[in-house]
Amino acid sequence: MRPLAEQSYYELLEAPAEGTPQQIERAYRIARATYAPSSTAVYSVFTADECAAILRRIEEAYAVLSDARLRREYDARLRRIDPARPSVPTTQTPPEERSIRSMGRVPMRPSDGVPMRPSDVPLRASEPDLDGSFAPDNGVFDGDVLRRIRVSLGIELEEIAATTKINELHLRAIEGNHYEQLPPPVYLRGFLKQFAKCLSLDPNHVADSYTGHMRESSARRS
Amino acid sequence: MGGGKGGIGKSFLVANLATVAARSGRRVILIDADLGGANLHTCLGVRAGERISLSDYFEDRVVDLEKVAIETPIPGLRLILGALGHTGKAETTQEQRASLLKAVRRLPADIVIFDLAAGTDRSTIDFFLEADDGFVVTTPEPTAIENAYAFLRAAFYRRLATALSESNVRELIRVAMDQRNERGIRTPGDLLAAIEQIDHGEAERFRRVLDGFKPHLVVNQVRDTEEVKMGFSITSVCKKYFGIDIDYAGYICFDDNVWRSVKDRRPLVLAYPTSDGALYVRRIVKKMLGS
Repeated sequence: MRPLAEQSYYELLEAPAEGTPQQIERAYRIARATYAPSSTAVYSVFTADECAAILRRIEEAYAVLSDARLRREYDARLRRIDPARPSVPTTQTPPEERSIRSMGRVPMRPSDGVPMRPSDVPLRASEPDLDGSFAPDNGVFDGDVLRRIRVSLGIELEEIAATTKINELHLRAIEGNHYEQLPPPVYLRGFLKQFAKCLSLDPNHVADSYTGHMRESSARRS
Repeated sequence: MGGGKGGIGKSFLVANLATVAARSGRRVILIDADLGGANLHTCLGVRAGERISLSDYFEDRVVDLEKVAIETPIPGLRLILGALGHTGKAETTQEQRASLLKAVRRLPADIVIFDLAAGTDRSTIDFFLEADDGFVVTTPEPTAIENAYAFLRAAFYRRLATALSESNVRELIRVAMDQRNERGIRTPGDLLAAIEQIDHGEAERFRRVLDGFKPHLVVNQVRDTEEVKMGFSITSVCKKYFGIDIDYAGYICFDDNVWRSVKDRRPLVLAYPTSDGALYVRRIVKKMLGS
């Protein structure tokens, strides 16, 4: 337990020292929202001045950790103080393996050539939703399941639209199972894969599951 | 299951988490430790009436605690009523609490859940600290969050006070519990620094208390993504203020079926098993029990 002034930039952002740029980005977003002047999470614990001081340190930490060169220099300084410290990856690394492979939530690897997005990687070990319990027993990833997983990770639809460049209306149609409003299948599959990656889900599994369910539902209706 | 504020859904959560656990084959006993406002029985569809209760145990009319556990409509789930005794006393002595906690450990159950009263009185905090897993419930409203922090703060300082024995250090803790103290001790970090100056051994014990204090957080009545994120924010504040790691165990979405189930006097997971609220309850149980 160290005073704010003595905490490392990683401690300030509550991000892992080996965190990917995406993890740093998400940690920063949550920290900024938490200590904002309007935040209801802090007002009864920290004074406005204390929050402002924390926010200044958070901005300082982010300015360094979000810049690859500055971060390397900073890490080198930390390693001089603590030689046992692990090296920070210079390239994006996949999130750790999770025990929910059977439910379609497998580690993501950028093997399909689609670059990982800022919200690809769930931030914290304490996130309540990494156990795959939203995945239904029948394994179907329909729009409702995707929405629940997104909300549970604290990710806004706007964030996914911004990072994937997919029109928010399409994302809403996917989550709402509004099949008649969805783009042609070839585009839909790509959209679903990108959406799945943002939620740390297996892109191919989600795309197969969603489109399969959509075909079955459409056939039942007609 | 505590949380500081009343009306945030503690009894609702206890009844539903216990129902899910019992239906998964666990032997579950619930203890309604809200002696002044017991109503857990109503959430389970049990009429309290003049039935045997915790008061009978505290007032030595029943020696064996297991005999106080009555059956509920849910197989595998029993309940120890927290109805007021004939004396109308809602307070318990330290001896009564110690005796109860000792007896609880001998109950033939896989899981025992205490439904705690609102507030931060001594008995509530003692029961919370005795649990293998302490849950703090809040809703996203500022009042509930404020009370959740007050609850955590009371529990944290109480644990410190029982772990540290030097009288001058205990005096420091007593001073620190008043947030406007003249010593300028604002946070547990300030307190640790002050203790460090008096006694290194006690400071080391302080750090061990910090390491061993890992409550779980549940946010109830969540309406949108912003309110889901409130759980992350609360864990961050606890880390920066107390230096403790809180586990964000989950959240329950706002669901009209909740009040309907309370009105029906049936657990939500049985009355409306396909509702959103029931889904989120099951997720928390799944996470905690690993099944």
